[in-house]
Amino acid sequence: MASHGLAYDGCNFFRQRLVLSTLSGKRVKIKNIRSKDDNPGLRDFEASLIRLLDKVTNGSIIEINQTGTVLFYQPGLLYGGSVEHDCNLQRSVGYYLEALLMLAPFMKTSLKATLRGVTNDPRDPTVDMLKSTALPLMKKFGIDGEGFDLKVVKRGMAPGGGGEVVFTCPVRRTIRPVQLTDPAKIKRIRGVAYSVRVSPQMANRIVESARGVLNQFIPDIYIYTDHMKGANSGKSPGFGLTLVAETLNGSFLSAEMSSMPQGQGDPKLPEDLGRDCAKLLLEEVHRGGCVDSSNQSLALLLMTLGQQDVSKVLLGPLSPYTIEFLRHIRDFFQLMFKIEVQKPSEDERKGGDKVLMTCVGVGYSNINKTIK
Amino acid sequence: MDPGYYKRHQQKHSGPKAERKKLKKQEGSTEEDGRKRNPKAFSVQSAVRMAKTFHRSQDIKTKKHHIPHVDRTPLEPPPIVIVVVGPPKVGKSTLIRCLIKNFTRQKLGDICGPVTIVSGKKRRLTFMECNNDINTMIDLAKVADLVLMLIDASFGFEMETFEFLNICQVHGFPRIMGVLTHLDSFKNNKTLRKTKKNLKHRFWTEVYQGAKLFYLSGMVYGEYQIQEVKNLGRFISVMKFRPLVWQTSHPYVLVDRMEDLTDPERVRTDPKCDRTVSLYGYLRGTHLKNKGQVHIPGVGDFQVADVNFLPDPCALPEAQKKRALNEKERLLYAPMAGVGGVVYDKDAVYIDLPASHVNQQQEEVRPTTELVQSLIDTHATLDAKMAASKVSLFSGSATLDSTDVEEGPREECVWDPNTQRKRRKVVFTEKEEEDVSGSSDDDEDGDVDSEDGDQEEQEEDEDEDNLSTFLKDARAESDETEKTVTDAPPAKKQKVEGGKKRGEESAEVPAFADSEDDLEMSEEESEEEGENVRAGDSGHCSEEDEEESGDDDDGEEEEDDKEESEDESMEEDDAAGATMKKQTASESEEEEEDSILRFSCCSRHSALEFILLFPSTGGLRWKEGLQQKASEAFLRQQKAAPNLRKLVYGSEADDSDDEEQELGGLFRVSRPQNSKKSQANGVDSSRFDPDASHNWDLEEMLNSIRDCFVTGKWEEDQDAATLLKEDEELYGDFEDLETGKVHKGQTGDENDEDDADDDDNESLVKVDDDEVQKKKRLEKKQRLKERFNAEYDDEDATYFDDLKEEMQKQAELNRAEFADVDDETRVQYEGFRPGMYVRLEISSLPCEFVTNFDPHYPIILGGLGASEGNVGYLQMRLKKHRWYHRILKTRDPLILSLGWRRFQTIPLYHIEDHNGRHRLLKYTPQHMHCGASIWGPVTPQGTGFLAVQSVAGTKANFRIAATGVILDLDKSVTIVKKLKLIGYPYKIFKNTSFIKGMFNTVLEVAKFEGASVRTVSGVRGQIKKALSTPPGAYRATFEDRLLMSDVVFLRSWYPVSVPQLYNPVTSLLLPAGQKDSWAGMRTLGQLKHDLGIRNKPNTDSLYKPVVRAPRHFNRLHIPKELQKALPFKSKPKQQQPKGKTPRDLQRPSVIREPHEKKVAALLLALSTVHNHKRKKAHTAQHAKHKEFLQQKEKLEEAKLKRQKEARKKLYRIQGQVDQKKSRSSLKGAEEE
Repeated sequence: MASHGLAYDGCNFFRQRLVLSTLSGKRVKIKNIRSKDDNPGLRDFEASLIRLLDKVTNGSIIEINQTGTVLFYQPGLLYGGSVEHDCNLQRSVGYYLEALLMLAPFMKTSLKATLRGVTNDPRDPTVDMLKSTALPLMKKFGIDGEGFDLKVVKRGMAPGGGGEVVFTCPVRRTIRPVQLTDPAKIKRIRGVAYSVRVSPQMANRIVESARGVLNQFIPDIYIYTDHMKGANSGKSPGFGLTLVAETLNGSFLSAEMSSMPQGQGDPKLPEDLGRDCAKLLLEEVHRGGCVDSSNQSLALLLMTLGQQDVSKVLLGPLSPYTIEFLRHIRDFFQLMFKIEVQKPSEDERKGGDKVLMTCVGVGYSNINKTIK
Repeated sequence: MDPGYYKRHQQKHSGPKAERKKLKKQEGSTEEDGRKRNPKAFSVQSAVRMAKTFHRSQDIKTKKHHIPHVDRTPLEPPPIVIVVVGPPKVGKSTLIRCLIKNFTRQKLGDICGPVTIVSGKKRRLTFMECNNDINTMIDLAKVADLVLMLIDASFGFEMETFEFLNICQVHGFPRIMGVLTHLDSFKNNKTLRKTKKNLKHRFWTEVYQGAKLFYLSGMVYGEYQIQEVKNLGRFISVMKFRPLVWQTSHPYVLVDRMEDLTDPERVRTDPKCDRTVSLYGYLRGTHLKNKGQVHIPGVGDFQVADVNFLPDPCALPEAQKKRALNEKERLLYAPMAGVGGVVYDKDAVYIDLPASHVNQQQEEVRPTTELVQSLIDTHATLDAKMAASKVSLFSGSATLDSTDVEEGPREECVWDPNTQRKRRKVVFTEKEEEDVSGSSDDDEDGDVDSEDGDQEEQEEDEDEDNLSTFLKDARAESDETEKTVTDAPPAKKQKVEGGKKRGEESAEVPAFADSEDDLEMSEEESEEEGENVRAGDSGHCSEEDEEESGDDDDGEEEEDDKEESEDESMEEDDAAGATMKKQTASESEEEEEDSILRFSCCSRHSALEFILLFPSTGGLRWKEGLQQKASEAFLRQQKAAPNLRKLVYGSEADDSDDEEQELGGLFRVSRPQNSKKSQANGVDSSRFDPDASHNWDLEEMLNSIRDCFVTGKWEEDQDAATLLKEDEELYGDFEDLETGKVHKGQTGDENDEDDADDDDNESLVKVDDDEVQKKKRLEKKQRLKERFNAEYDDEDATYFDDLKEEMQKQAELNRAEFADVDDETRVQYEGFRPGMYVRLEISSLPCEFVTNFDPHYPIILGGLGASEGNVGYLQMRLKKHRWYHRILKTRDPLILSLGWRRFQTIPLYHIEDHNGRHRLLKYTPQHMHCGASIWGPVTPQGTGFLAVQSVAGTKANFRIAATGVILDLDKSVTIVKKLKLIGYPYKIFKNTSFIKGMFNTVLEVAKFEGASVRTVSGVRGQIKKALSTPPGAYRATFEDRLLMSDVVFLRSWYPVSVPQLYNPVTSLLLPAGQKDSWAGMRTLGQLKHDLGIRNKPNTDSLYKPVVRAPRHFNRLHIPKELQKALPFKSKPKQQQPKGKTPRDLQRPSVIREPHEKKVAALLLALSTVHNHKRKKAHTAQHAKHKEFLQQKEKLEEAKLKRQKEARKKLYRIQGQVDQKKSRSSLKGAEEE
């Protein structure tokens, strides 16, 4: 039988490779993982991700060499079910959740994942953001219904963690093709300002300053304050803000910012944070598109795995992560996207260039799902 | 039975009957009439019943719906595969020949491989003959669109027919048309009709009621009758097909041509070496991606090395207007049968000169010969062209100059094992190839060129980056030489070069988050120069050469970089510009500080603005011009190529550029690995950092996104004002009923007024206005109509209709999206679409595939979906075929046909118990489904499969052993088999016993502590604890005392592992003539049979006469004390047998005297008489009494009746009284 493994160098885009490998059934070998580094090999959070993958799959073969610089992964079948995972504290739950979001609809049984660890940190998309943008996005692809939910049970800030998130997702056999070419206008802005183990006033201060920036554009702004106490507040203090702009067509653009983890960097004033976050949202609006920048790869993946029909999505400028993702999609699924740049016309005041991504799905069907 | 015997029905034309009929006809609908005449009969009798009938009719209506699918059939569909099946000598080849003759007016000798013809304006057909081998039948059933099932009517159905039908049933049912042949062998008309009818009905039960069965009544000069063939052809050409699940979800190719591309030298040195083969055929099913995995049934799984599409060898006619095809358009393409004449390849043209085995006598008229002749003729005249060109004999080999080539086409005699004859392979030079084929050679050229260009480029780049200034001079020289060396047309080269370069750079820099460098740099410079620099970097593509980012600290080098980028941009210019550029470069080197022009491109993205610095100082005018030129060139380049695409996907060539390159044999270019490594091991986050250049405090920045919000300006067509206007136009006039106000549509009135005004002013304008008005009215009408239609349709629009419409829309989108893209690019996006004629190159095919090639056997390339190339555990539901005469045994190897594949595997059969346990079965049940687990190729759930025990030879019996469907793809089900552990008691206490012999160690016992055990006699117990000696013995308690003779057993379940055998049936690799003799792993029974081994039966299982020893029971002993206490009834009686009575107790027998005898006899007689009398009297008495009783009963009855009646009367009166009372009390309320 012809070999159909893929080989990569370095640990960057580690998640993409493992996720796509799992979905496409192609084995993957990653070499030279931080081989020149003082501390070579896989980090703990990557190991934790592998462990999580091992939990949701059945029959995967994972081989790591002694130094941890070479990883061989032969994917098994996605099993799903009830999974509990203690995420490594080096990365937030968002890191793991992003991988799970991509895999969850293609499991054998519907997934119920309980992830514990850092829910909000500045490096990865936080759970609030994924909840408010990734989930509605997936709904457009036909992944909806009962039990499609992401619940933040406990909030845990970096570096201590102690948060808990429950993600449930039903199983789909096929993914619907989408035509998301018109983002339409933003009708409202919502958000969550959270604070744990600090004064609850912090959240209000954030809200105040964020509104100050955004009120220039739209009056319909409501930012919830979410102050968690006691057992639900994790182990470290911190605060942050997630803003979501909803358009008339039901696409969501979001921005977020959270305070620096305790003991790292200079602390930030809540007012500054609110203002900066609002500006980030403006930046995101400037980029535009029907999918916000951190979920581009998720949208593209679901388009790829759709039926053999044309799917279109209008995106903002492609992020480096997405560009690499596109390359990986070509490697794993032999699928190329048609990429057209849409320049805004002269008199339009709708931000920067947009990119229209078009593809014909590969006709993926969930081979894990049992029929009776 | 003679039809003339009966009198024809005579219709009345006059008279009362005719009148009545006429009246009836005139009245029309009788149902309506009936309703009027007899309304009662049509009234609702029962609401429930009505509801029921309604439900039923709705059910029936809904049942007719199929799940709507998106119609993905391409505009130009591939030829329809018609498989002609039937047992040998039934007339398959004759039928194909007749049909081909019918459609194309050409005669074909031997039917080898698929034959493709154009049958009509929109339809092409591919005929394929299916021989009697079950492998072929299975393979062809999977790719067939239409099956012509030939049946020898003189013989009746044969097993093959039914086997094929069953195969079809499993793999999706293609259209099946039966064709009865050999009907001329029936002499008797009656038997003929009877046979036809019988066969037809049997066929119907197999396919469906009313399936088409054709009759070919006889042969005329070795062919079927023209009219009948014509009819059949017409049926075929109008037939509609429904999509089959497997076929529409997988790409596949029925190969109609095969070429061996292996280097002949390699074959010579190692005849068994793996071959590189190119296979050709129409792509069917769905889109095929390049470099995908395919399965070739009968050979195995392979990776496709390359796919490209070729011009259609059997194209549909272009003009669709006329009715019929002309002779030229009736194409026939069958390379395996030696027809088709000239065949093209990517890099070669093959011409068949008169073949030996295609009808020799037709040689003169064959069109191919003419074609070849003409080709050869033209060839001779092209010598001049050839002189300059190069020739490649085989793909991948070195090119030959024209000096090596003699005049005329090169001819090579190649022994073609496929056709068993010598072939003359003609190889043309490139130019001629272009002329002849007009195929995609250009790209090849372009590719080669661009690669050259790439390398040059690369060298240059590296020069520039890494060598110090003294090398630069050398580089400049080399540049010059390179310029002179390049021979390709400059314009073309430039373009490709530019594109490639960009791609290359982008590939090296996967992420380009470091836009700050660029920005910083430009800012720095702006400070330096005191010039107005605006870094309009939109951020999403601020990409830069990694080299640049590597050394941006160093100011000088930065400057160098600048110049280099300048250089690069200039290089793209024409030759004249190139020389000028050199000057500029050198000059700019000299006068670094007052660099006159600076051209910095910060990104390769088309969306990016680039910075142009126009100096105010500028003294040299020509340089200015140059600058403009350069910028123009850059712009051109920016626009020419789809940049973002290049940025993302790069180009194919740049992946291999990683090796270090040698410069002038002295220096090695050491590339800065550092940045790349850091890229490879960077932080893995999907966050997209914002562009630092955007300052959201600025008003203009804020203004740039104003319109993204609902508060901003709306588009023309969505503006609230326009929408309102539209509404107004539509619902212009209306009267508010509540207020009684009348709203009038404004537009009309206003316009009228306007008209009136205009009337006075200008008549010309008026005319225009009229037209405008007219148009407006028309538009309005149109809109109204559309709205009405939409609403009207919405009235009874169901979910189903909506779904259908959605699918329709999607299908339209699919068609439209890539319709205007050229095929080359289109193929990259959506893959090769069905209907294309493709060439697939497969390397490392086993040599037997080529050496044992037999065109009579179909070669199918079945594309595999994602992860369908893997092997794993499969759970299936299986049922032994009811016509297979044996049951199947677990662990006997079985040949499965699943997906594209045929393979041997070892199944385990199991059945689910009511408690959810999957119990292993030794044999499949007779008439029931059972589960089966195998190790095999991963195939989507719901795929059907069939099983045969052997594919070798033909057997007398029905060969299909089982059929079933895939349920699941993993080992989630554990199959268990029953395991009974047996032990014996060696010490028995009251309810406790010590058991030995069940286990061997204490540990084993410990594992089973608490397990329930049982004796054969049914006494239940439990394992308590292990005993130290003997090892494996344990203490167990039972519900009753055991006997030493009892056997204790423990019932447990032992998981069974599925054997991992996956053995693809490689029947195509067998030598020609033996392809139907593939034998895989033998079953145990076969092995034993072949080796002559017979099992010795277990002696316990042998039947022996039953010998039963009589059982002896001891006396029951009751203690004396107890006896005393017992009551007399229960006391044991004297149980001693009485023995013999003693003499003295024996009574003597009485002997009577004669007199006494007489007396006794008399007494006996008297007593008998007396008894008789008494009996008589008694019966009489009894009868009398009975009569009396009857009498009494009657009286009683009468009395009761009387009483009842009296009571009734009483009650009635009483009731009337009550009623009266109640009525009187309710009188006020109730009045009638």
